[in-house]
Amino acid sequence: MLIPKRRYPKIDPSEITPEELYVNRRLFMKGSLTAAAALSTIQAQALVSPEGGSRIPSRPEWLERAVVNASETSFGAGEKPAPYASATQYNNFYEFGMSKSDPFENSGKFTTDPWNVTIEGECEVKGSFALEDLLKGIDLEERIYRLRCVEAWSMVIPWVGFPLAELIKRFKPLSSAKYVEFVTVERPKEMPGQRSVFSTIDWPYREGLRMDEAMNPLTLMAVGMYGNVLPNQNGAPMRLVVPWKYGFKSIKSIVKIRFRETMPPTTWNDLAPQEYGFYANVNPEVDHPRWSQASERRLPNSIFSPNRIPTEMFNGYGEQVAHLYKGMDLRKWY
Amino acid sequence: MVLTLTGRRWLIGIACALPLIYIVQAIVRVQTGEWNLLGPEPGKAITHFTGTWGFNFLLLTLAVTPIVRLTKQKWVMPHRRMLGLYAAFYVSLHALAYLAFLLGWQWGELGREVVERPYLLVGALSWLLLLPLVITSTKAWQRRLKRRWKQLHQLIYVIVALAAVHYLLQIRASWFEPVAYTLIAAFLLALRLWFFAKKKRARTS
Repeated sequence: MLIPKRRYPKIDPSEITPEELYVNRRLFMKGSLTAAAALSTIQAQALVSPEGGSRIPSRPEWLERAVVNASETSFGAGEKPAPYASATQYNNFYEFGMSKSDPFENSGKFTTDPWNVTIEGECEVKGSFALEDLLKGIDLEERIYRLRCVEAWSMVIPWVGFPLAELIKRFKPLSSAKYVEFVTVERPKEMPGQRSVFSTIDWPYREGLRMDEAMNPLTLMAVGMYGNVLPNQNGAPMRLVVPWKYGFKSIKSIVKIRFRETMPPTTWNDLAPQEYGFYANVNPEVDHPRWSQASERRLPNSIFSPNRIPTEMFNGYGEQVAHLYKGMDLRKWY
Repeated sequence: MVLTLTGRRWLIGIACALPLIYIVQAIVRVQTGEWNLLGPEPGKAITHFTGTWGFNFLLLTLAVTPIVRLTKQKWVMPHRRMLGLYAAFYVSLHALAYLAFLLGWQWGELGREVVERPYLLVGALSWLLLLPLVITSTKAWQRRLKRRWKQLHQLIYVIVALAAVHYLLQIRASWFEPVAYTLIAAFLLALRLWFFAKKKRARTS
């Protein structure tokens, strides 16, 4: 386990975390080399998230090194990331169960090494690639993004990753590649949600983007968060992050990327087409049929204050992405 | 039964208060530092908890008559009132938790939400229908209303059906719990139909 060298100046968990816990965490996040060196791995793991027992998982050395050496960016300057425990214990990852705490509780046996990703479809470079080969030569960066769930809650997450466009270029997509499809791993032995007879989802989970959306510089492929590798429950070892779309578009634990000429089928759209569109852009003016999207609860909140804030068009990333949808009726293409 | 009626009343009364005691101590702990105890959305967790227990007590209340009839355990009957009152209590806490923790007392928002979100309307109606039953739950009202008291309190059939719809309308992908609650409610209501049919037959023959 490696110690990240950065700290999170925007995290101010003192508001919600007891003093002694947050001082520990800050010490760790700060990662001043002397302090870090003084800590054994076990101590360090215990310190990274004293609240609620979230642990940073162990991953191959090359990946830990790459993540820890990610460069800082100005994305999300001024945003306040959610505490690590919130971001890692409140997840929608139905492969591990349907309640928000299930992914944290049930993903312990999920193995992410070795990991291969298959590249298929309308592109010149195809095949199955080991994650390490896939990421070779790609520099990682940290970006703090707002994540808006379709269920009207949101969190701010410091991701570590790289623009998806960089990866896509390596496979030399053909001009016929109009869409990119992503598929999550299907491994019922390790994923109780995929075994469950109560699930209505047709596994594996699928998502997709239009080519120009996939190539947009905001679209991130993440391999880490909070200066460390991704925990299993957050979509290890590699997941998509599309910050201007509802969270379900940001598919986790990707094993397949397929370039397509036609719009790919996507899981939630297949399940309830009136409720979840292919585009799923964050849009306060188009309500979900059963709840309003005009505002969101920024988490973590507290018992006596729901922390409701107005939802912004494209989750506040309109400047970077609004042009993609020029002339489209976003009520129709929700 | 070994215990006296009063003894049982105390025992059942305390048992029914356990969910309340649990959630109150959880709230105190969250407010005094264990901020993550109920997750990053504690208000929602409390709302779901009280709603679930409201439904549990509705079903328990509804189960009393069939239990007495089918198992001849007559001692259960005098405890139905308390179970019903606890149901109304937890449902009221649920409504209160929604208003305070999820809506943050934004009444303007409430008007919009209730009209636009059918499950809220159904839930609100279910709660409102419980109120006259709470008011008329006393012996005095029972005497005053005579036969109409029973008719009035059959409103519980409507209330539990509305509660099931309220739950079903919120299904996203995990349909198991809402469907399980609905099936239990449907079973308990079907037993009533069977009782009525039997009674009718007995009367006509």
